[in-house]
Amino acid sequence: MNYFLGLDSGSTTTKAVIINETRKIVSQAIVPTGANSRAAINKVTGTVLKQIKITPGDIACTVSTGYGRKQAATADKQVTEITCHARGVNWLIPDARTIIDIGGQDFKIMALDSKGNVIDFRMNDKCAAGTGRFMEVMARVLELELDHFSVIALKAQKRVEITSVCTVFAETEVINHISSGTPLPDLANGIFTAVATRVYALARSLITSSSVVAFTGGVAQNIGMAKALEEKVGQKLEVPPQPQMTGAIGAALVAANHFLKQE
Amino acid sequence: MPMDTPHLSSPSGKGLAALQDIYQQRGKKAETLQKQGRKILGYMCHFAPLEIMSAAGFVPFRIFGRRGENLVAVDDFIEPYGCPYVRNSFEQELQGRLNFLEGIVMAHSCDMVQRLYGIWRYYRNPKYAYLFNVPHQVTSWAQDFFVRESQLFLESLEIYQGEKVSEEVLEYTISLYNEIRHKIRQLYSLRKHHPPLLTGVEMQQVLIAGTCLPPEEYLQLLRETTEEVSSRQIPGPNSARNVRIMIWGSIVDDTRLFELIENCGAHVVVDDTCTGTRIFNHDVKQNDNPFQQLMKKYFLDFQCPRTDRGPGYQRFDYVKELVTEYRIDGVIGYTLAYCDPHKLDFPDLRDFLTQHSCPMLLIDDDYSLGNSEAIQNRIQAFIEMLK
Repeated sequence: MNYFLGLDSGSTTTKAVIINETRKIVSQAIVPTGANSRAAINKVTGTVLKQIKITPGDIACTVSTGYGRKQAATADKQVTEITCHARGVNWLIPDARTIIDIGGQDFKIMALDSKGNVIDFRMNDKCAAGTGRFMEVMARVLELELDHFSVIALKAQKRVEITSVCTVFAETEVINHISSGTPLPDLANGIFTAVATRVYALARSLITSSSVVAFTGGVAQNIGMAKALEEKVGQKLEVPPQPQMTGAIGAALVAANHFLKQE
Repeated sequence: MPMDTPHLSSPSGKGLAALQDIYQQRGKKAETLQKQGRKILGYMCHFAPLEIMSAAGFVPFRIFGRRGENLVAVDDFIEPYGCPYVRNSFEQELQGRLNFLEGIVMAHSCDMVQRLYGIWRYYRNPKYAYLFNVPHQVTSWAQDFFVRESQLFLESLEIYQGEKVSEEVLEYTISLYNEIRHKIRQLYSLRKHHPPLLTGVEMQQVLIAGTCLPPEEYLQLLRETTEEVSSRQIPGPNSARNVRIMIWGSIVDDTRLFELIENCGAHVVVDDTCTGTRIFNHDVKQNDNPFQQLMKKYFLDFQCPRTDRGPGYQRFDYVKELVTEYRIDGVIGYTLAYCDPHKLDFPDLRDFLTQHSCPMLLIDDDYSLGNSEAIQNRIQAFIEMLK
């Protein structure tokens, strides 16, 4: 049996997925990237191999993706996460024609065809505004755990305007709100709405009224964020069960196709 | 005109290798020329005709910055919200790296360059300084204005030099530059092969090296380069099919962007920039009124978005022609921070190209290409998309 390994070395977490020849996921793992992306890649690779008791020699092809993709010494091929997310989502949600992916320090929007090929994409510029890192900073300012932060917004009573999604300026703005007694749920909701506005501005041109939109990346686990984004997009977003794994799944699929000479 | 300038003493002092060597040390080359008694005239933007500068006895030297350099001195003169290319270029002057310049000529291409002229003149007091005025529309009276401005520019250089420029010398200089343009177009056409006979990086080195050379010397090196590259083996029909890219944008004055793209396995085969085809795709017609013909080439035919050509998409027809001619799979745009003229043209150009099934990616940069991981990521994703 041939196995195919997909590695996604992201800015915050490193993911690994192994699929078999029938393209079934047989093992997956996720570890924090930390300060050494190569060590994280080695660790997560060790874990996924161990889980199904196979050795590196059983892997027929490895594809790495994500910002640290060049650190994966054993990868046969390096492919950007744009391509990999599209493949991964296409496999999980075949009807999806647009993907909104919010990761640790960037977000990207992709338009794809029925085969999972990227037709067009947009990425945020240069700064971490509206990304996972931004969420972490805001949660810290509100003295909330990330999980709690994401659900508390659902209890919002009033709309609060956060005008900036710059991590530094938004922090100041949020502190001003705290000192003027704004309830936490309203504030959390205000933060998510501000991010959703920014993401939607970039995504708008790649969404048609008939397209199924998938929401992936670590931030897609955040219910409050998903709800705020759904409101902006005006339709339900399809969130896969483990939305942070789609890049690694896509990488494993590319590896299988590459090995089986389909690309 | 005699070939009075010796080549740089380098072990590989011919053709492409010589130009690559000069590319690495433009300033040093200009300094050598200056020590040999040549007068070096620094210029910004491509409006003041090079033929006029050369005919009046100057070596035109295009002023560039150093990409990604930490700026130290310029903050005292130009605020950080100014154009990064202009700021970086003035930093070079403030660091004493342009001491070989006899004078400067700047065009009112954009407001930033125009204001730099004032700042430069006031604080650096060069021996010669000229602001070359350029109208923003292409009406008939604007054309007359440009003709008169070129004549005034020549007169001012003549006064500085204490010598009139004869019509013969001007015509001869025009013929030299026409031949340079011809040679460069010949090199471009060798990139129509697949894979191209000349990489994007090599072509860029050839173009940038030329911006510090007297025309006779550049022409000689171009002749050698064309011969050398023409003799490279023409690829067979079964060669690997890599993606063919065109670069669109404002000033691209080094090879960094080309390296980022070609390192992803794509070929940069043509460009629409003011260091590339925009300045070489048209000649100056000879045996006619030279100022009228210079106006045609440097004003009417020079496609800088700072000049208003109306709102219609037909202003981009020439880009479409390049896309077809060079069999382009995708266009990568490069704009500098705060370069409004290019930025405002981008959405229209992207829509226009998309209508013609040619995708376009934009790289928006602060003249550093510093966060190259993020930029490379986008470029690689774009190339994967085109495959």
